Amino acid sequence: MRTEAPRRYPVYVPKVPTTWWVRTAPFRRFAAREFTAVFAAAFSAILLLFLLALSRGQEAYEGFLRWLRLPAVIVVSSVIFVALLYHAVTWFRLTAHIQVVRLGGNVVPRRAVVGALLGTWVVVSSLVVYLLVWF
Amino acid sequence: MGADTIALKVGRYRPEHAPEPYFDEFHVPRTDDMVVLDALNHIKDHLDGSLAYRWSCRMGVCGSCGMMVNGEPRLTCSTFLRDFDSGPIVVEPLRYFPVIRDLVVDMTDFMEKLKSVKPWIIGEEPPIDEGEHLQTPDQLEVYKQFSMCINCMLCFSACPVYGQDPEFLGPAVIALAHRYNLDSRDRGRAERARILELDNGIWDCTFVGECTVVCPKDVDPAAAIQRSKVSTATHMLRAVLPFGGRE
Repeated sequence: MRTEAPRRYPVYVPKVPTTWWVRTAPFRRFAAREFTAVFAAAFSAILLLFLLALSRGQEAYEGFLRWLRLPAVIVVSSVIFVALLYHAVTWFRLTAHIQVVRLGGNVVPRRAVVGALLGTWVVVSSLVVYLLVWF
Repeated sequence: MGADTIALKVGRYRPEHAPEPYFDEFHVPRTDDMVVLDALNHIKDHLDGSLAYRWSCRMGVCGSCGMMVNGEPRLTCSTFLRDFDSGPIVVEPLRYFPVIRDLVVDMTDFMEKLKSVKPWIIGEEPPIDEGEHLQTPDQLEVYKQFSMCINCMLCFSACPVYGQDPEFLGPAVIALAHRYNLDSRDRGRAERARILELDNGIWDCTFVGECTVVCPKDVDPAAAIQRSKVSTATHMLRAVLPFGGRE
């Protein structure tokens, strides 16, 4: 898109340092949000491995559960959990910028949208935990 | 107020004297009502007449006086000297744009991109000479926020995606394209889609969100881009799904 026509005057084209993303706090938060996507991918991979083990029968399934209980795997899972929490909260907060919610002709304030999203998330997650632990 | 002075480090680029940009430091008198642009005008009037910079309205409307002030893209006419405890205040040309001279950047890229998304009403039905086109306050409200853009280009200087890839269409341009797409009188969505959906269009945006933070008119270009993505995706789905229906 940048015009390729030669300029009739000299210009100075500044270079962008590769470390631009550490320069300010908002950039660092952005980089953290994007980087935590790697942990989302890792969690998906674990989930796929879980399904694979499940499809291979009871022995494979129990073997997988034993692997999940290894201290090193618990440590990695905890890191993934924290990273996913950060990833999810940041994206819930951004969703309110993307989706305009109208109720009765009025635009619902962003804080209310974020609150509703986070609230629903907490309720659904609690329900899942309840079902997993008590049933 | 007494004789308070503040130092300004002003970016200079004078290719006939030096191949690289450098800084000049100036000391200017400061009063409570002075903005950075007043300080630049003081420098030009009293200290160094060769300083080059753009400005016009002095009231945050024309969008000419955007510069980097202490590393942040700001309208210098709306940035008060009193908000800086001590100097020097570092004033540089808008980031990511080629510098022509001192604080003046080359706007060609921005202007070409702006033109490419056709920021005007396309295909009004019936034609305008057959009568005026009415619009309800609700229809106006849908796009009004995005129409407040003054083309100051601060959002481009805040956008690391544009910094990394100058081919990126950029925040203000997409916000204005979205503004016309949302206008009830406009029928130009398909024409604009050809540009917006290209490799360097809306999908290049990674939602850093700094364009919205620096916007002096609360346009919220980041929201415009994300909504443009949603709207484009919805249109694409409607086009391929048998039950999608047409507008």
